[in-house]
Amino acid sequence: MARVGRMKKVLSKKPLLGGKKAKSVKTKTAPQQEPAKVRLDIQELAVGTTKFSHPEMRRVPKNFPHELPGAYGADRMVLMVRDPWWLYTYWELKQETVDKLKSGLKDEFYKAKRVLRVYDVTNIIFNGSNANRFFDIQIHEFANNWYIDAGGPGRSWCVDLGLKLSDGRFITILRSNVVQTPLDGPSWITDEEWMIPDDMFARLYGMGFGLGRSSPVGKAWRERIVSSPGMASMASPVKKAARKRGFWLRVDCELIVYGATEPDARVTVQGKPINLRPDGTFTLRFALPDGKQVIPVKAISADKAEDRTITPTVTRETK
Amino acid sequence: MHKGYLALVLHGHLPYVRHPEHENFLEEDWLYEAITETYVPLILAFERLVNDKVDFRLTMTLSPTLISMLGDALLQERYLKHINKLIELAHKEIERTRWQPEFHNLALMYLSEFSKARDTFLRYNRNLVNAFKNFQDLGKLEIITCGATHGYFPLMERYRPSVRAQVQVAVSHYESVFGRKPRGIWLPECGFYPGQDEILKEAGIRYFFSDSHGVLHGTPRPKYGVFAPVYCKGTGVACFSRDLESSKQVWSSIEGYPGDYNYREFYRDIGFDLEYDYIRPYIHPDGVRINTGIKYYRITGSGDRKEPYVPHWAQEKAAAQAGNFMFNRQKQIEYLHGLMQKKPVIVSPYDAELFGHWWYEGVMWLEFLIRKIVCDQDEIRLTTAPEYLSENPRNQVITPSMSSWGWKGYSEMWLQGTNDWIYRHLHMASERMTELAGKYPAVNGAQKRALNQALRELLLAQSSDWAFILGTGTHTEYAVRRTKDHLLRFNRLYEDINSNSIDESWLADIEYKDNIFPNIDYRVHQ
Repeated sequence: MARVGRMKKVLSKKPLLGGKKAKSVKTKTAPQQEPAKVRLDIQELAVGTTKFSHPEMRRVPKNFPHELPGAYGADRMVLMVRDPWWLYTYWELKQETVDKLKSGLKDEFYKAKRVLRVYDVTNIIFNGSNANRFFDIQIHEFANNWYIDAGGPGRSWCVDLGLKLSDGRFITILRSNVVQTPLDGPSWITDEEWMIPDDMFARLYGMGFGLGRSSPVGKAWRERIVSSPGMASMASPVKKAARKRGFWLRVDCELIVYGATEPDARVTVQGKPINLRPDGTFTLRFALPDGKQVIPVKAISADKAEDRTITPTVTRETK
Repeated sequence: MHKGYLALVLHGHLPYVRHPEHENFLEEDWLYEAITETYVPLILAFERLVNDKVDFRLTMTLSPTLISMLGDALLQERYLKHINKLIELAHKEIERTRWQPEFHNLALMYLSEFSKARDTFLRYNRNLVNAFKNFQDLGKLEIITCGATHGYFPLMERYRPSVRAQVQVAVSHYESVFGRKPRGIWLPECGFYPGQDEILKEAGIRYFFSDSHGVLHGTPRPKYGVFAPVYCKGTGVACFSRDLESSKQVWSSIEGYPGDYNYREFYRDIGFDLEYDYIRPYIHPDGVRINTGIKYYRITGSGDRKEPYVPHWAQEKAAAQAGNFMFNRQKQIEYLHGLMQKKPVIVSPYDAELFGHWWYEGVMWLEFLIRKIVCDQDEIRLTTAPEYLSENPRNQVITPSMSSWGWKGYSEMWLQGTNDWIYRHLHMASERMTELAGKYPAVNGAQKRALNQALRELLLAQSSDWAFILGTGTHTEYAVRRTKDHLLRFNRLYEDINSNSIDESWLADIEYKDNIFPNIDYRVHQ
């Protein structure tokens, strides 16, 4: 069945855990999936086994001619929001852009550190130098995507890919779009016309997350994340998931009763009529439980002038 | 006099899986299983309710991909073949289990179900959408639309033309099927980002659903939490959000109803249990064992030992749980009514395929619940979003927060180490599609066909289902293949269109393979 092992495929070049702590702000970096994945597997497996069930082997033509291009020949950097705390960016750099930098910077280019500069641009029109604050993440030269722990829900962000020269200067190579992370809790802004006392809002808030009528506001949201598995759209209630079972054995018995007579005869087995094949043969297959089965097989000729009965008796005993 | 409302929402969606180039294609079984186990049982339940004059209200998404598959002649033909084989197998099972009454009766039950599935399928002229449309025309069912191919919008935020195309194509497709525009939409994966409502408004959509935190974390604070809809600031599109308490009772792996020991065990299927030569004609032609749909055991307990399924025990349990669900909603509504000083609306959305397919007794539970609410009490009234809004037009205006109903509540399910590689390609294709639509505003013949096909391929590549399967990390090969195939076809079309060198026989081939949305107009992608 579809309780298959996970296929591990490296589908994109991932940056290794990198980035020393930069001086300014925290710079946790990329791949952090493993601990979370363990739980995810359990919780989402039902999807695979129910809605999207399918066995391990595949029949997609093996010789599909193409792969997707590694690059599209453009300078671009796209920033996306993963959740209130994390951003994701990917980028592509034209070779000529790199060459230009090399010829302009000469040796400096090779000494420079490749850096993501993450700007907090909340409530401003960003012009490159008016960010509320920024922090740098040092990255690997060949990285082309990165998860950024921005740590700031409800704020706007912009990211530069750049070079940090040995004298501290920063050169922007690419600039991303601006994105906004969602809040990680209720807004502090209230609406005069739709005011509600804080304690009442707290109760409604907790109830909205299915936490009963008294959960404190801040806690409720966290609890929701921790305590509500199986909420993903196609994750079904996973009581079974992939059980790992130990050694096991199952044995069952079936009985095949077969025979032949004149093709136009009428045949009953245990009193119930059965169908003959065109050549007069027949085969019956029964699950055989423990105990004794008496199986009278009776054939009556088409003109009802003759009949024959043969009665096998079978006993199954399981120890 | 009622004190509050309950809005039940079923989200029916499957990705577009149709492979005319292969005689057997396993992933097509997703549709066949859902027809037999979910859609037909739902239709039969709705028919019984209508016949008994139970005045119910239910909201249901039928995603454009699902509607397209249900209406596709090839898939219809294949479903008929599929269900006929199952009926044949059920007959054999009735014979084989002659000396085991506990299984024999279940074999008879399956034969009856499969026969009903076939009859219902034929009765609605092979297209079950006709059935759902009837219930909508009767005013019982509110059918809403979805993204054209279930693309996940928050990760397309920067590519508005693609979000617009997902919405516009869905709306015109809905209109061609149901004869009027959809009033509401189920955002794929409940994925919302602020500003998306502008595109909904443009398309004439009046309401959508979000997860609880979409509204609870909106700005300004929503006075009534998730228990009243809000209007999006700037557009006035209404947003109803999910109540997690009622969701948990059904979904939760810990306290959810479907885990009851009397219910049918999903993981014991004769496709895996029975002797190989016997079952071989009913599993995959390659000889791989798969689920057949005939399952004889109940959950029994947490261990491996399983006892035979006893239908009437399960039925009693479903009735009791429906009563429990209603009781909890009554308590919830009573409390909220006191707190809010107005009638709360509780929104309970579920994946449609949960009912019947995964939770075998789910449709029965739903029918019990509806009957009890409509007939046995008057505190709760079933409602739909339009009905609620016409009775309660005054609602707060806020900007809901970015959110989804996926794992952890945001975009991580579709954006993690196993699937993040797709976005650089998807986004580039979006950019290129916008470029094409701008560059070729009025063309004809092969150019036009190629442009329309390019949009089809882009939309198909955007299905969140592929990223989702990649994210679960199990049997990902098909999802990788689909993502790549559609993008590769798109890229080639893009190049061919720009160099005015369209290979018409190849174009005809992919039009035949990826035939969704016959009336698509590429110019919506702008």
